[in-house]
Amino acid sequence: MMTPEQAVVASIVLCVAGAVLTLLVSRNKTVAGWLAFAITAGSAALILLAVWQVLTHGPAHPEQFLKMPAVGFALCIYVDGLTSVFLLLAVLIAVPAALYSICYMKHYEDYGVARYYPNFLLFLAAMYGLVSTTDMMWFFFIFWQLMTLPGYALIRFENRKPENIRAANKYLIMMQIACVATMIGAELLAITGAAASGSEMLKYDFDTVSANLPALLAGKPAVTALAFTLFLVGFGIKMGMWPFGQVWLPDAHPAAPSPVSAMLSGVMIKTGVYGLMRYFLWLVPPAAQADYPLANWGAVVAVLGTITLFTGTMQALKQEQSKRLLAFHSIGQIGYILLGTGACMALLPTKGPNAAALAAIAFFGALFHVLNHGLFKGLLFLNAGSMLHATGTQDLNRMGGLMKFMPLTAVTALVASFSISGVPLFNGFASKWSIIVGTVQGSVSAKYLGVCAIIAIITSALTLASFIKFFGVSFLSRTSALVREQAARRGRLEVGAMMQLPQIFLAALCVLLGVMPALAFRLMGGAMDASRQGYGIALANAAPMMNGPLRGLEELNGTALFAPLALAAVLGLMFVVARAISKLGRATRRAAVPWLCGYAQEAECHRYVAHNFYGEIKRYFRWLGGASRPQPEKQPALKGT
Amino acid sequence: MKTLLPILGGLANVAIVLVVAPFFQGVLRKVTARIQSRQGPPIWQAYYDLLKLLGKEDIESGEMPLMQRFAVYLSLATVLALACLVPMGFPSPMNGAGDAILLIYLLTLSGVCTLLAGLAAGSTYSLVGISREMMTMIALEPLFAIAIVVGAVHTGSFRLDTVLNGSVYATGAPVSGVIMLVVMLLSFQAFVQRVPFDISEAETEIMEGPLMEYSGPKLAIFKYAQMARLVIYSALFVALFVPWGAGLPFGLGWLAFWAKVFVLVLLVTLVAATHARYRIDQAIRYFASLLGVAMIALVLASYGY
Repeated sequence: MMTPEQAVVASIVLCVAGAVLTLLVSRNKTVAGWLAFAITAGSAALILLAVWQVLTHGPAHPEQFLKMPAVGFALCIYVDGLTSVFLLLAVLIAVPAALYSICYMKHYEDYGVARYYPNFLLFLAAMYGLVSTTDMMWFFFIFWQLMTLPGYALIRFENRKPENIRAANKYLIMMQIACVATMIGAELLAITGAAASGSEMLKYDFDTVSANLPALLAGKPAVTALAFTLFLVGFGIKMGMWPFGQVWLPDAHPAAPSPVSAMLSGVMIKTGVYGLMRYFLWLVPPAAQADYPLANWGAVVAVLGTITLFTGTMQALKQEQSKRLLAFHSIGQIGYILLGTGACMALLPTKGPNAAALAAIAFFGALFHVLNHGLFKGLLFLNAGSMLHATGTQDLNRMGGLMKFMPLTAVTALVASFSISGVPLFNGFASKWSIIVGTVQGSVSAKYLGVCAIIAIITSALTLASFIKFFGVSFLSRTSALVREQAARRGRLEVGAMMQLPQIFLAALCVLLGVMPALAFRLMGGAMDASRQGYGIALANAAPMMNGPLRGLEELNGTALFAPLALAAVLGLMFVVARAISKLGRATRRAAVPWLCGYAQEAECHRYVAHNFYGEIKRYFRWLGGASRPQPEKQPALKGT
Repeated sequence: MKTLLPILGGLANVAIVLVVAPFFQGVLRKVTARIQSRQGPPIWQAYYDLLKLLGKEDIESGEMPLMQRFAVYLSLATVLALACLVPMGFPSPMNGAGDAILLIYLLTLSGVCTLLAGLAAGSTYSLVGISREMMTMIALEPLFAIAIVVGAVHTGSFRLDTVLNGSVYATGAPVSGVIMLVVMLLSFQAFVQRVPFDISEAETEIMEGPLMEYSGPKLAIFKYAQMARLVIYSALFVALFVPWGAGLPFGLGWLAFWAKVFVLVLLVTLVAATHARYRIDQAIRYFASLLGVAMIALVLASYGY
């Protein structure tokens, strides 16, 4: 039986070997695609094995591979609960994305897949490594570069478009800045820490740094503060936090092929969240917690999170390109995660009523939102990919009425849109609920959290508005000229079963976690139990307990509760009642065309398109920036058809 | 018994809402007419309208009729589900199904169904109305959320039976509660989509916006849902801000509750009959200033005022 650490190393090796193999067979797109999928699935099986072991038997011990003590170099891998959650997320998105790629990549007629599958697998391997290594310097650097460089290659995949090259360059530069910031931070802690304790051996190891930290916090608070600021900047850049996210993220995500966008948004930016959680909450041992200003860091993170979620979503509201809109929403949703994490950090050290329980609720909300965002955003990017596949454009203004042509993609897109907007009974609601419970009740201890919570609720309405537009103008509304023309030319617009399957899988998970959020809370409770280090101990002890998946969520002695199954039963019953009422009169049905007041025939120029939505709000928030770019495709002249 | 009681209570609420909602609509129309020196329709007119619409031909002009049907049924279903969560003369029956945060999000969902229906029909007029409706919701939803959050902060609980029981005044000096009462009174008209904030429907300019393409039973369901929304929002308002008299013995407390709701509906009617519709930008600016005031109330609440 492999230990979890060995399983993770094996899956990394498998992915790297797979990268070489797919490069060899990249002449044939189908073979390369299936091979890449098989390798992704194989590595996923190994990762699931590791995660299962950690969650059932508790974590094993840190293990070292490739030891070179002379230069303080070793591949230290340690899989604990927190790592398991992120590994699980990577697996849940990567497998559907790899399956989706097989057919999706065939429509790039003039780009080969030699630059796609090998990079995809290296990218995945790097993410496995980055969340499980405890080496804060060398292997952090290696995995970070292993993620950045293939990511760069994937973003500039369509390298004949100059805007994609620009986007990729921006991504590369920002990631290198982040890498340097984080490494300087680690160096600051390691060098001063090692000098204090006189140990050179593996001085960059997480546990060594952690052990040296109490002396450092007591002796050199300024240096540690600088180091933590650098961590915040470095991981903030990675996860797309305001103001860094707006620089690279909205350009990079739309440029990449859709399955890669799903990976970028669903998994890659979460490694920044992982770093933030790990360094701010797990690094400081209990002995030094009196010297560590966690509440202040929490305030900074919560306020930055609130700014991030509002700006990201407000800018998303202005977008008219499908994937660009989704990319801005990634910034917005990362804001929720930051808010939850920040609230947790702000509340943990306070002595207020229920402080530890509230902190745990906020943290669980944030961690759950990490998982949920991966699921629904991954799904949305796959949906956007299907729309691109069907219509050949990302321009929402030229879409309309797609539901009639691609019903399955439409239903999954509706599920994802509901999830991201926090409609009850979908997964996004459960995590937002948890974050809001934590922040609102936490406002008794930390006053600013109440305002943050309200801004989060407003932003939730903005998200809903944005997705009403996204879903409405592309799938509902009236068939646009472009869609009609494509349907006439191709006969069938709906994507094939191989592309439907990943979408169905992700949509099913969104609904499952929405109806039974206690499943996820149990998973996270187990994860916290398996990562007792630093503040993880306090979180594990305060973890809300659940009594089985059917019970729903009940927290703070039952003063906050949500029973999705009861709600689903009530809604279902009322749906039947509503339907019965409408049938009372035995009315007959007839199909007709919409009425345009008798003056005009329906025409392309009468369609109300994405650009027309929410004019007043866009005008009031023009100062916020992020205005929709002029479209790369040529805009068709608005003429009646 | 423990599981049966909430179900019976919920069903009772649903039945009352279904029966009473058209009556309030009838009163509203009658009083409006009298204020405008007209005779007005009989007080039972709303029932006749619904019955007549249910039997009329159902014209589906959208490209996705299934989506239209789904949105229509869901719009009434969410409103009726809300009826199970809102106290109406006795504590909220199904308070085990969710808390105040769920209530906030469900209220939004009930508004969204109309938008989905309008989008599925796809008329340009509908879409204009949807854009306006959504902007109003963005500005409005936080006001109600703040009112509830103020109550939740005061009582330290999100439970519906705790929050929806005059919780906004649950401190020594209920400054934030009084501010929120004023804010909600000034915006209540918009929550129930009546003049002067019926911008998204605006019969005279965009012909009922999202509902424009709907006829027959579907229109009846929408109208029914809208009437029920008036009752539910009034009930919420009463439970949150006018709790006095709720402690009376069951029958009396119940009567007092519906009397208060009736007074609130009369107030809505009075404002609606004497004001002209705002433009969307005016409305948003108005709500934004209310939102600013509400934020102050929230900060006060977190300091215990």
